[in-house]
Amino acid sequence: MEKIKKFFKYDNVGLLFALPAFLYMLVFIGYPIISNLILSVQDVTVRNLAKGDKNFVGLGNYMTLFQDGVFRTTITNTLKFTVFSLVFQFIIGFALAVFFNKNFSFAKPVRGLLMIPWMIPMTVTALIFKFMFSTDVGIFNYILRSIGMITENVEWLTNTNTAMWCVIFANVWIGIPFNTILLSTGLTTIPQDLYEGAAIDGANGIQRFFKITLPLLRPTIESVLVLGFIYTFKCYDLIYVMTSGGPVNSTHLLSTYSYKLSFEMFNYSMGSAAANVLLVILLLVGMLYLKITMKGEEE
Amino acid sequence: MKRLVALAMTVCLVGTMLVGCGAKESTSETKVEVNEAAESTDETGSTESVDTASAQAASGNVTIWYYWETEGHQKALSHIVEEFNSSQSDITVEAKYVPFADFKKQLSIGASADELPDIVILDNPDHAAYAAMGIFADLTGRFDVSTYYDGPVNSCTLDGKLYGVPFGSNCLLLFYNEDMLKAANCEVPTTWEELQQVAEACTTDTVSGFAHCALQNEEGTFNFLPWVWSTGASSYEINSEGGIKALTAVKNLVDSGAMTKEAINWTQGDTMHQFIAGNLAMMINGTWQVPTMREEVPDLNWNVAPIPMDAQQASGLGGENYAVIAGGNEEAAIAFLEYATSEETCLYMMNAMGYISSNSTIAEGQFEGDPVYEAFVEEMNYAGARGPLPEWPDISNAISLAFNKVITGASTPEEAAAEAQSTIDGILGN
Repeated sequence: MEKIKKFFKYDNVGLLFALPAFLYMLVFIGYPIISNLILSVQDVTVRNLAKGDKNFVGLGNYMTLFQDGVFRTTITNTLKFTVFSLVFQFIIGFALAVFFNKNFSFAKPVRGLLMIPWMIPMTVTALIFKFMFSTDVGIFNYILRSIGMITENVEWLTNTNTAMWCVIFANVWIGIPFNTILLSTGLTTIPQDLYEGAAIDGANGIQRFFKITLPLLRPTIESVLVLGFIYTFKCYDLIYVMTSGGPVNSTHLLSTYSYKLSFEMFNYSMGSAAANVLLVILLLVGMLYLKITMKGEEE
Repeated sequence: MKRLVALAMTVCLVGTMLVGCGAKESTSETKVEVNEAAESTDETGSTESVDTASAQAASGNVTIWYYWETEGHQKALSHIVEEFNSSQSDITVEAKYVPFADFKKQLSIGASADELPDIVILDNPDHAAYAAMGIFADLTGRFDVSTYYDGPVNSCTLDGKLYGVPFGSNCLLLFYNEDMLKAANCEVPTTWEELQQVAEACTTDTVSGFAHCALQNEEGTFNFLPWVWSTGASSYEINSEGGIKALTAVKNLVDSGAMTKEAINWTQGDTMHQFIAGNLAMMINGTWQVPTMREEVPDLNWNVAPIPMDAQQASGLGGENYAVIAGGNEEAAIAFLEYATSEETCLYMMNAMGYISSNSTIAEGQFEGDPVYEAFVEEMNYAGARGPLPEWPDISNAISLAFNKVITGASTPEEAAAEAQSTIDGILGN
C-alpha cells in the first residue's frame, strides 16, 4: 500500500497518464509498421498468402524494386510532384495571406471563403479537375480556344508530358488555403508596432517584409513547409481519381504504385517494400521537422 | 495421437448428431461449430468421417460477400436470400456488401487473418488467383456444371479442378448510334477496315467515331483483348503477328482521330455516358449497360452488333462467380448455391440484374423477343475468358501497359508488343 502511494507521487503519475497514448501508439502505429517491415523482407504473393510458407528473401524485394524502371520513375515523379506543388502552394498561399492580412472591408469573410477548396472532399475535387482538363469537352481547352491561344485541343491528361503538370496544378489549388490560413495566423502574431516603428524609421514595404515579416514568421514557415511536404508526398486519392497513375505510369507516385503492386497485382511484399521506401523518406523529413522545432523551443 | 483424438471426437459428434436430430435449431448449430473445430485440428486424417458428419449437418450460418453497388442488384440478392431463409429452417444466410474497390483487399486481408465468409461472389478474372491462394473449396463432383457455358466454367477452374460456380455472365458487343451512322451514310461495320472507315466518317468536331474503355487496368484489358483474340492470337501471344496487328489497328483508329485518346481515362461507365450523351457514334461495351441506357435515354436510337473482326469473331467474357470458402460452412453454402442456381431463382436474379445466365439451358430462353439481349446471348458462344491463371493480374498489367503506350504514342506497336511479351514470358517462365 505504501509503495503504491509512493509510486503515484510526483513524476511517476505523469508516466501513468502517458500510458494510454503509448499503448495506443504501440498497437495502432507500432504494430502495422513492424509487420509491414517483416512483410517486405518476405516473398508473399497470392500463392502463399494464406499458407504458412513465407520465404525470407532479405533485401531482395528492395533490390528488385530499385531495378524496376517504373519504380525509379515513380520516385522522380513523387519528388517532382511534391517540390513543384509545395513551391507554388507556398508562394501563392503566402501572397494571399499577406494580402488578406491588410485591414480592408470583407478581408475576413473572403479569407474564410478561401478555405473552401480545403474542405471539399479530395475525390470530388479530383473528379472536377478531371472534367475540366478533358480534351474534347474540358473547360480549359474551351477557354484557351476562345481567346485564341490554341487552335488544336491540348491533350492535358492523356499526354505523358502534360499529365503530371495537370495533377500538380490541381494539387496546388487544393493546397493554397492550407498555406494561407497557417501563414495568416502566423502574421497576426507579429506586433503591429514593429511595422509602425519601421515605417517611422523610413523602411519601405519591401524592407519591412524581408526584415520583419519573414524572420518573425520563420517558425510558422518551417512547419507549413514540412507539413505540406508530408501531405503532398503521400498524396494518393487525387492521383488515383484523376489519372490512376497513367498515362503509361507518368503520374504514378510511391503511394499509388505501392497500392497497385499490393492490391492490383497481388504482390504484397513488393507493395509493402515500396510503402517502406515512402515511410523512410517521410521519417527523415519528420525528424528534420522535430529537430527544427526543438531548436526553436530552446531559443 | 492427434489423429486418434480427432477421430474419436468426430465419431462422438456423428453419434450425438444422430441422436439429437430432433433437437431444436440452436443446439444443432453449436454442434456444427464444434464439428468445424474438430475438422481444423485434424489436418491429415479421418476426413472421410468428417465429411459424413457435415453432409448430414447442412445447417448453421452462411455469410456471403458481394460487391454490387447498384441498388437493384442488392435488392435482388437480399430477396433470394430471404426466400431461401424462409423456405427452410436449418440454414441462415446473410449477405454482406463490401465495396468493389476494397473487395480484393478485404479478401486478401481476410485470407491472412483467417476471417473469411462462407461464400464470395467475385469478378471472374480474379478467381484463379484466389483459388491458387488455397482459400476456395474444391467443388469437383460436388456441383454439376455440365450445362454451363465453357467460358464461365473455365474461369472457375484451376489445374482441372472446379473451384466455383458461375453466377452470371456478360459479354461485349459493338453499340452504335443508328442516327449517326445513317447521317454519315454508313452500314454497321463488320471488319476492322470497315470500322476504321465508318468511325472516320462519323467523326465530327464534337463526336468521336469510336471508343472503348482503355484504362491501364483490368477494365481496359477486358475491352482490348477481343482485338487480339480476333486475329487468332491468345492473351499470352502479344508479340505475334496477331498481337502487333491488333495494336496497330487501335493505333490507326487513334491516329486518324476516329477513336478518342481520352478513352485511356474512361471507365466502361464513362464510355457509356459519353455514348448516350451523343459524343460517341460507336463503342464497345457490355451487357450490364443495357438497363441503364434504356432507362436514361429511351429515345436514343441505338443497337448492338458483333464486334468488328479480323480473322474470327471474338468477345470478352465478364461476370461473377460464386466461390465457397474452404473450411467454412461448406455443405450449407453448397445447399444455398443449389437453390440460387435453380432455374426460377436464377432467372429472377439474372433479369433483375441484366445478366445472362451462365447455364446455357436457362440462357437460351431467357430473353425471348428482346433482340438486343438475344444478340448478347448469341455472342456468349464467342466470348473468351481471361486467364484462368493465378498470375493473370500481372499479365493483364503488361497488356494494358502495351496498349496505353501505343494509344498515347509513347511506343510503336512493335516495341510495345515486344516489351509486353518479355514481361509475359517472364511471368509464365518461358
